[in-house]
This record gives sequence, C-alpha cells and structure tokens, in this order.
Amino acid sequence: MSEGENTIPKTETKFPWSNYTLKLGRGEPVSTTQYVLYAVQIAAVIILSYLSVAVIPLSYAGISIFYFVYPFFLVFTMWWGAWGMLGAYVGCVVGAGVLVGTGPVPSIVYAISDLVPPLIAFVLYRGLLSKRGYDPLWRDLTDKEVAGVKTKRVGAWVWFILINGVILNIISAEIGVGVLYKFGLVATNGFWPFWIGWVVGDFVAMVIITPVLVKGLTSLVERQGLVNHGWIT
Amino acid sequence: MSETDVKARASKKYVRTFIFSMRTGTPIEKLHVVTKVFMIVVLSTLTLYMFDIPVSRGGPDFIGLGLLLVLVFSLLAISRTAKYLVNSYLILSIPVILAQFFWWLFFSESLPGAKMTFYLWPGFFPIGVSTLVFVGTFVLVYFKTRSITVSLAPAVLLWWFTIMPSVLAHSSLATWIKFPLGGTYSFSLPQWSAYIGFAKSLGYAILIYTSFLFLLTTRDVEIGGALRQLRVSFRKAFFVMLMFRNLNTILLDYESIRMAQIARASSVIRSGILSRMKDLAYVSIPLVATMIRRSTEMGVALYARGFEASKGMTNYKETKRLSGVDYAIMVLLIAFLIYEVILGHSITALFGR
Repeated sequence: MSEGENTIPKTETKFPWSNYTLKLGRGEPVSTTQYVLYAVQIAAVIILSYLSVAVIPLSYAGISIFYFVYPFFLVFTMWWGAWGMLGAYVGCVVGAGVLVGTGPVPSIVYAISDLVPPLIAFVLYRGLLSKRGYDPLWRDLTDKEVAGVKTKRVGAWVWFILINGVILNIISAEIGVGVLYKFGLVATNGFWPFWIGWVVGDFVAMVIITPVLVKGLTSLVERQGLVNHGWIT
Repeated sequence: MSETDVKARASKKYVRTFIFSMRTGTPIEKLHVVTKVFMIVVLSTLTLYMFDIPVSRGGPDFIGLGLLLVLVFSLLAISRTAKYLVNSYLILSIPVILAQFFWWLFFSESLPGAKMTFYLWPGFFPIGVSTLVFVGTFVLVYFKTRSITVSLAPAVLLWWFTIMPSVLAHSSLATWIKFPLGGTYSFSLPQWSAYIGFAKSLGYAILIYTSFLFLLTTRDVEIGGALRQLRVSFRKAFFVMLMFRNLNTILLDYESIRMAQIARASSVIRSGILSRMKDLAYVSIPLVATMIRRSTEMGVALYARGFEASKGMTNYKETKRLSGVDYAIMVLLIAFLIYEVILGHSITALFGR
C-alpha cells in the first residue's frame, strides 16, 4: 500500500472539510480495518452493480434503467478516494459486466464509463469546490450546517446536479454505450435509446439515493475516522 | 500439498465456487484458474469477432458460433454444473437473449438482401411445431414453477416467435394444420436483419454461458493462489481474496435487509415506481452500515492475529501447477484465435454456405 507523505500537513481551517484534499493522504499507511473496508466496499459495489442490471426490468447488456449502484460508488469515492474509484471500475467489470454475461473483454473496456464520473467528481469537489464552500462529502445537500458552518444548500444541489447528474453522466453514457456499440452489443440504430436509458437511469438513482446515503451515513463514517483525507488514506 | 491435505481434499465431494458449488474431481475442476481466465477471454474475443463479421465479407460465422455454444455447454456438462444452470439461470437468461434478437431485428441499419415477411398474426391458427413449442415450454416452466401464469407467459411468447416468420408459418414441415382465424397482419424486414439478430443472440448466449462456466467452476481461493504464483504480494492477493469472499456475504445481507423491509410492509403499502425506488434507497443505509461494521470486526480480528506484523506467509493449499492439459488447451485456443481472427477464415465458409 502507498506510504503517502511523511509529514502531517498543516490543515486550513476556513471550512470544517478543509482537511479533505487531493494529497495522497496524511502520511500514515493503510490500517488493517481500512484494508478490509476497501475490499468489502468493492464487493458491495460488485453485488449492487449486478443487482442494478440483473434485477431491474428492461435492463440490457450492462445498461440499466435504474442503475442504483451509481450513487453508491460516487459517495464511496467521496469517502474513500481512489478505493471508491477502484470499486466503481471493478464493480462494473465484474458485477455489471461478467456476471450479467457481457463478456470479459467488452466489460474491461466499458467499465471505464463507471470510473470516469467518480474520478472527475473527486478532483472537482476536493480540488475546487471545497475551497469555495461546498462540502466534498456532500453533507450540504441535506444539512443546513456542518460543524457550525452554514452550508450553501441551493448551490450545492446546483453543482451536484450539473456535475454528476448532467456532465459526468453524459460522459459516462457516451463512453459506456459507445464501447458496447463498438463491440457490436448495441444495435446500430439503438444507440440513442440506450444512451437515453443510461442517462435517465443513472440520474434518477443518483437524485433519489445519494441524499439518503449522505444523510444516514456520512457523519457515522466520519466519526469512526474512516473518511480518507486524500486519494489513498 | 501435504498428504493429509490431499486426503482431506479427496474426501470432499463438493467445493464452494463463486456461485453455487462444484463437484470435485471433474476435468474442469482440475484446470488451473489461469487457463480458465484465458479460456473465457479467448472465447469471448472469438464470439465478438464471429458475430460482427460484416455482410460484405460473408456475414457472421453462424457455424463457428454454434460450435462455440456446443463447446461451452459441453464444458458445463463435463463440470457437472449444467444441472444447476438449467435450474436457475438458464430460464432467466432466455429473455435477455431474445431481447438481443429483437433489438437487432428492429434497430439494425438498412441491410441488404430480399425482404422477409414476419407475421404479427398470420390469419390462421397453426397446429405444428409451434404447438409443440407451446406445450413443451409450458410443461417445462410449470414443472419448475407450479404457476400457470408464469408458465403461460414464456409459452405464448415462444409460440408466437415460431409463427412469426412467414417461412415457418407456411412451411408444411412446421405447420401441419391451419384453422382460418382473423385477418393477416404482417411487416417486412431485410433477410439479413433476421440473420444478424440470430447471430447476435447466439453470440450473447455464448458470452453469458462462458461467464457462468467460469463463475460456477472457480473458487475465490484459487484466484488468491494464482496471484501468489504470479508473484503478486501477499497483501494484494489477500485483498482480492477478501473482495471475492465477501460477495456471497453481502448478497445475503442484501436479501436479509430486503426481507426485513418487506416484513415491515414497505413493498406492500407502496406500489408506485418512485416509491419502490425509495424503498431500494432505504436498503442502502443498513446495507452500508452492516458493511462497515463487518469490516471493522474483520479488521480487528486480522489485527489481533498479527496480520500487520506477519511476514513470509505460507501459500494457499489450493495453489495448483499448470499441467500439460492446461498448456494443450491454451495452444488450441490460440490456434483457433489465429485461424479465425488473424487469418480471417470462417467455419461457415469452410462448410460452404
């Protein structure tokens, strides 16, 4: 596991979330609990990816009309950085790919579609928006204040919808449906119906599940000291 | 492996795999996991290539795809997992394969070839192969589900598929007696749309069953052993093992939470799609909380057993060596790949279309 950096950096105190940055970590190695947690969260994402495609009616070749794992790996990435992204990728390869019969070769390529949104969201939130008063753990979507600091709820929702629901979702659909199309798994004139299904499926799941996850669990995860300060730890 | 381990292993009739369990001692069980991974990668590459050969180059390799499907089912039979597949996933996968056929039938670009007529209703009630299909499907599904409604749906659907193509509806071999009934409703599509749809569904079936072959005949511990053989560090190999080991546990957690939710009538009192989605959202909190609690417990247990301090771990007992059979299979698969993909030959062309 990565060693991160050797010195504990000085934290900015402007916002309660200022210690969540884009550094590798705070210098300490991955603890055994974290090590197990990261492995188990990948397993959870694999199962939820599988269920998102296999259980939901009208799902097809790895594309689901209610891809309810999407908010899970987004939130996991906000909590656990690179491990959440790894979960998103592996979850898609195994759960929404191999387990539903898309085949290993297309799955390895098309899973990039699930890696890109959490990766970009993590960079944008931790690198840019957190410095402008938006919580990178998304508590401002549901809470009026975080650790005594008033949140910008409307702005948080606007950025959340714009970045994750529109821009990243469209990029994800473009990559995912495009790869399946190139591999001959999506019919020639079926690109747009699948593309729309992908975008709507991810968007609806994201809007419904993310606030529930954030409201119910972020504080608990943070209290247990399990939120990553950087990419790795 | 010590003599005691060999004896302990030989005494086991079944071992747990990713999904379900597998009988020990079958030729597939004896294969190295690297060979199995190689096999599913090559088979899926071949399938993707075979069903995507453009019409200008002779179209999909139907016979090649058929042979691959027979090969995959033979391997499932040899591994003695075919029964489990028939009992569970076979029926579930059929709608997906049929959906593939229809997507390609209706959403293909304009393809060459004479127009083919398909009936929504042929204007007569046919007795023939379609009747056998109806009765066969109904009996098979009813035998498994004991539900008339559940059995009727696939039986009617498959019956309709057999009367849809005009070629079948008017063939004296397929339709023995016709009872005039109602008007004729039909539509036409290029012949190649149906062929491509058939090739795609055949290919998709291969992809699905190849994945099942791997999942039904592979143990998570074999992957850990193989990673160690490939000189991956113990911590990384164990990480992968932990991940795969927890798949079943999390699935069970999910099922338990869903059952608890149903017991509290969450799926009974709400019937709208949005409400059901919300129900699903409320599964997420206990599921993730359970996941975190379990991880903490496992982490503490590992720590207590000196996981962080330990060095020079012993290897997994399940680690195997690549045998002559493994090498032979890999060579055969490479030869097939070169023949079909690199040299561009087609099995269908070999037999003459």
